Amino acid sequence: MSDLRYEKPASVAEAVRLLAAEPGRAAALAGGTDLMVAMRAGRATGQCPELLVDLKGITELERITWTEDGTLRIGACVRIQDLAGDARIQQTFPALAEAAGNIGSLQVRHRATVGGNLGNASPCADTAPPLLVLAARLVVAGDRQSREIPLDQFFQGVKQVALTPGEIIIEVVVPPAPAGLRTGFGKVKRIRGHDLALVNAAAAWVPGSAEVKLALGSVAPTPMLVPGLDNAGAGNPSATELGERLAAAALAATAPIDDVRASAEYRRDMIAMLCRRLAATLLDVPASQTGGR
Amino acid sequence: MKRQVTFTVNGATWTREVDMDQTLRQLLKDDLYLNSIKEGCGIGECGACTVLLDGRPVNSCLVLAVEVDGCDVRTAEGEVQDGLVSDLQQAFSDFGAIQCGFCTPGMVMSARALLDRNPGPSREEIVEALAGNLCRCTGYEPLIEAVLAVATGKIAGQSDARDTVTPPYVGKPVPRVDGVAKVTGAAPYVHDLTRPGMLHGRFLMSPHAAAKIVRVDTTKALAMPGVRAVLTGADLPYKVGLYLQDKDILAADVLRYQGEAVAAVAAETEAQAAAACAAIEIEYEPLKPLLDLDEALADDARAVHENLADYSWMEGVFFPQPGTNVAHHQKIRKGDVVQGFAEADVITEHEFWNPPVQHVPMETHTAIAEARLDGEVLIDTSAQSPYAVRNLFCHTFDLPHNRVRVRVPYVGGGFGGKAGIHLEPLVYCLSRAAGGRPVKIVCTREEEFNTIPSRQGLRSRIKTGVTKNGRITALEIEYLWDAGAYADYGVNIGRAAAYSGAGPYVVPNCKIDSRVIYTNKVFGTAYRGFGHLEVLWGIERNLDLVARELGLDPYELRQRNLLRLGETTITGEPFTKGHGRPDLCLQKAAEGIGWVDPVANPGGNTEDLGNGRFRGKGLAMLHKAPAMPTFTSCSTVIKFNEDASVSLLISGVDYGQGTYTTLTQIAADELRIPLEKVRVVWDCDTDMTPYDWQTVASRFAVMGGNAVIKAAADCRRQIKAVAAEALNVSADELVCRNSRVFVDEQPENGLDYTQVVLGYTFPNGNAIGGPVVGHGRYIARGLTHLDPETGQGKPALNWTYGAHGVEVEVDTATGEVVVVKTVSAFDAGKVLNEQQCRCQVIGGVIQGLGSALSEKFIFAPDGRFLNPSFQDYKIPTAKDIPTEMEQHFIETPHPEGPYGARGWRSTR
Repeated sequence: MSDLRYEKPASVAEAVRLLAAEPGRAAALAGGTDLMVAMRAGRATGQCPELLVDLKGITELERITWTEDGTLRIGACVRIQDLAGDARIQQTFPALAEAAGNIGSLQVRHRATVGGNLGNASPCADTAPPLLVLAARLVVAGDRQSREIPLDQFFQGVKQVALTPGEIIIEVVVPPAPAGLRTGFGKVKRIRGHDLALVNAAAAWVPGSAEVKLALGSVAPTPMLVPGLDNAGAGNPSATELGERLAAAALAATAPIDDVRASAEYRRDMIAMLCRRLAATLLDVPASQTGGR
Repeated sequence: MKRQVTFTVNGATWTREVDMDQTLRQLLKDDLYLNSIKEGCGIGECGACTVLLDGRPVNSCLVLAVEVDGCDVRTAEGEVQDGLVSDLQQAFSDFGAIQCGFCTPGMVMSARALLDRNPGPSREEIVEALAGNLCRCTGYEPLIEAVLAVATGKIAGQSDARDTVTPPYVGKPVPRVDGVAKVTGAAPYVHDLTRPGMLHGRFLMSPHAAAKIVRVDTTKALAMPGVRAVLTGADLPYKVGLYLQDKDILAADVLRYQGEAVAAVAAETEAQAAAACAAIEIEYEPLKPLLDLDEALADDARAVHENLADYSWMEGVFFPQPGTNVAHHQKIRKGDVVQGFAEADVITEHEFWNPPVQHVPMETHTAIAEARLDGEVLIDTSAQSPYAVRNLFCHTFDLPHNRVRVRVPYVGGGFGGKAGIHLEPLVYCLSRAAGGRPVKIVCTREEEFNTIPSRQGLRSRIKTGVTKNGRITALEIEYLWDAGAYADYGVNIGRAAAYSGAGPYVVPNCKIDSRVIYTNKVFGTAYRGFGHLEVLWGIERNLDLVARELGLDPYELRQRNLLRLGETTITGEPFTKGHGRPDLCLQKAAEGIGWVDPVANPGGNTEDLGNGRFRGKGLAMLHKAPAMPTFTSCSTVIKFNEDASVSLLISGVDYGQGTYTTLTQIAADELRIPLEKVRVVWDCDTDMTPYDWQTVASRFAVMGGNAVIKAAADCRRQIKAVAAEALNVSADELVCRNSRVFVDEQPENGLDYTQVVLGYTFPNGNAIGGPVVGHGRYIARGLTHLDPETGQGKPALNWTYGAHGVEVEVDTATGEVVVVKTVSAFDAGKVLNEQQCRCQVIGGVIQGLGSALSEKFIFAPDGRFLNPSFQDYKIPTAKDIPTEMEQHFIETPHPEGPYGARGWRSTR
């Protein structure tokens, strides 16, 4: 028999109280698609949480809502598949829907949540790059207060995030899409079926404006926004020019590593390839180079 | 801690006390006994445990039981209504969308989830819905077709497609006899079995690729709760092996690969066994691992097996070299290569490499053993060859064969990986140490990758002499097999690869040295193709390069050199009419992909799709001859029942390839009875079903088919003998038709089988005859050992020839290779069941594409295996198959085959 305990609170307040009471021993359970795998691996070595606080069923965490100004608010426990299949998200922020649709298998997407995908802080989390380029913020709730954390300040290292013990993600807030916004997502995998990203990337831009947003995953300890693109969109660049600007900034900002999934050299090539492809997507021209699967 | 949960499963409400860390998979399987629930990986990568949770398809291994309070769960069992399977289940069965069946229930549920939400899905939507369920047998295409058939209303409900097939059955697309058992989840695999009093075994894997064991302390583990036995290598002074007894059951003094089992525990629960394993203290002295073939062959190389000279092996067939790392050296010498190269206009040298890959059966290796106190041994195992397991087992433990009983129920995929002996000795030793209680080990997917053997790596160096007009004058080839730590089947693969090592070509002067080299990697074993696939990569790629160097059409180069009547193979076997038509196979494949002569029409086979993407075509030949002892044999018994139905007993295993369906067709035709009157008894049991050598090497349809034909003839002879006496006619005048025996051309003057098969009773009550039990046997004939110095001889029962043509798209920006179309052509001798033949080809092609494109073992410099899970060892999914796959069959009868058929299921 296991020593593990399980609680299914009915409210956010109760959830954070339970989590805050046992810092380091309690873990929030959402879709469980990462946590269950980690627990299976950790069981032999005794590295398992002692208390699971199940966040599913807290109504306010399971809603996708749009405020009047066009702000998108995604509850932390919204299933990835529901995010991927949301018609308005597909239309307004196609990169986000596409990224969500690229996570794991259908079975995993039906279980996994957006809060879990971000909170797990994997360098290859597929929803992170689009949410980074969309300047998303996280609403987090703690024992005493709620606060907002800009997503680009949330990831602090592999499996390390800016949550204090007991805090949980409540909501992902995506600011309204400016008129003319274009977004793109790309992912390089080893097979066409479900796979972790060797490199993933997202970009957002309003053609005609100066600043281009670009974010990458699997190329650093955390998903990251690429700096130095404040003027990348200036001067009516062609897709090729824009692609080269994005690639140059991306390669300057990243130092990918060799691992079992890909070599650093391949990752660098794929960063540049994805940048070229994203530039074509942003400018709505046929890709000069295809990439990703 | 436990908690009470209430939920519904397939419409029934359950209230259960569940452990907090219990998964939904465990709840459904272990508490509710839902047999359809399988486990393929435990980490949500394979989909074998898919159920519908509130209508959504989920991996039940990633859901906690406590989470389902108030939820609705649906499983494949719930598809069955009033004893009838659902439309989806029927379609899976009818379309051959099933082979081993282990992934099938999960696949059915994924399809159900799709159709519930979208009754008219497109092919693309079906692919998306099924892509989370890994299948290693079917190649997915038949599954997609089955779901499409339901979506388009072609299959609306339960129907028995078998009813529509009329005799003769051989040659007809009879649906699988095991279809319903598998779609409903009713079929029991060892994975599903438990026994009263059963303990759970786990083993500890070596963290090092090479190390000496300095100290072992099991004190803590022995004192842990629930522990009933702890074993280490020092407790087990046995050697196991197929052809060369080189392996410890648990590593005793030296560890030879990372993942090798070093200690094992039997405990009341799996968790207790795992915890006790983790508590075993072992101190290692790491050695520098031998990971490279050249290093392993260096004069001063450390011998992976220091005591090789003391081992026993099959002498005269295998030639290990003590003091070195050479486990076997097979030579082929034909003609004079010096002369051959002198006659050549062009001489080329090329090197090729195949990495080790794994079989990845969806059911991992598992076995239950009971060492009874009276000395009897009972083993249930997920194995391909029950008699081989028993024989090797008895050899290792010096036990009489008739005291050891090996049973094999349904098997969730094998592909050669379950051909030999694997977990059985260890679970037996654990049971013995635990006082005779049965012990079960189920490998986790990680253990399957790390501990269970794989396909060997191969380095091929090929020197080719060829005339300007493309006639091969000489081949000199070095095959170096990276056998890993133990010989297992590896030495025989080295042998098979040598006798088939020049490809299906006329090579007048041939010198092949195939050496099997010990290294500190996971060891190799039989894997679909048994050495042929590996050498053919080098041989066929080499021919493309030679053609390029000669400026010849690679198609034409192949056609000019293919084996033909009047020529001999490299082992001196005359190529006869019965060998088949490799030339037609190549022609079919080339036609199918629209191959044109690239010399006359440069660029005719390629296309620039723009943006760095290109399309191209390729051709390859294949041949295969089953590697088997010269005396390989098979037997079968057919028993008549009261209703004149028959039970067919045979010990070859149908682990998905469909042989039992084929044998059912043959038996029905040969006994002149309807298909449904034949039942191949599913569990193989060495106490019950008669001897069969091994279910390997594509030989079961041929040998089993022949045995069934003979057993049926024996039955007919017995039936006629009784009928002759009853009817007072000569047996020669009698014929058997439509479940009756009668005087030829006088159907009314005869008896129904039901009046004869248990004995005939005269009107006055006198009885004659008795139960009809037919026996048939078959032994390979005319095979010879290969000459140790020249390799000359007749190595195999039959050769099978085939060819593949493919069209691929390459994205030069990403390196992505997408196979768009495949065309496969085989000379099958006789197509016994076209649906099955087609499905075998599709499954084989997709498995081959996995080997070629996405699968390989990756080792760290210290020999650790870096990708032992589905997360990083990527097998093809439903999204990874070509959009178009064609299959063609040529039927040149093989004189030894049943109806002329030859074995070819493991060719690809």
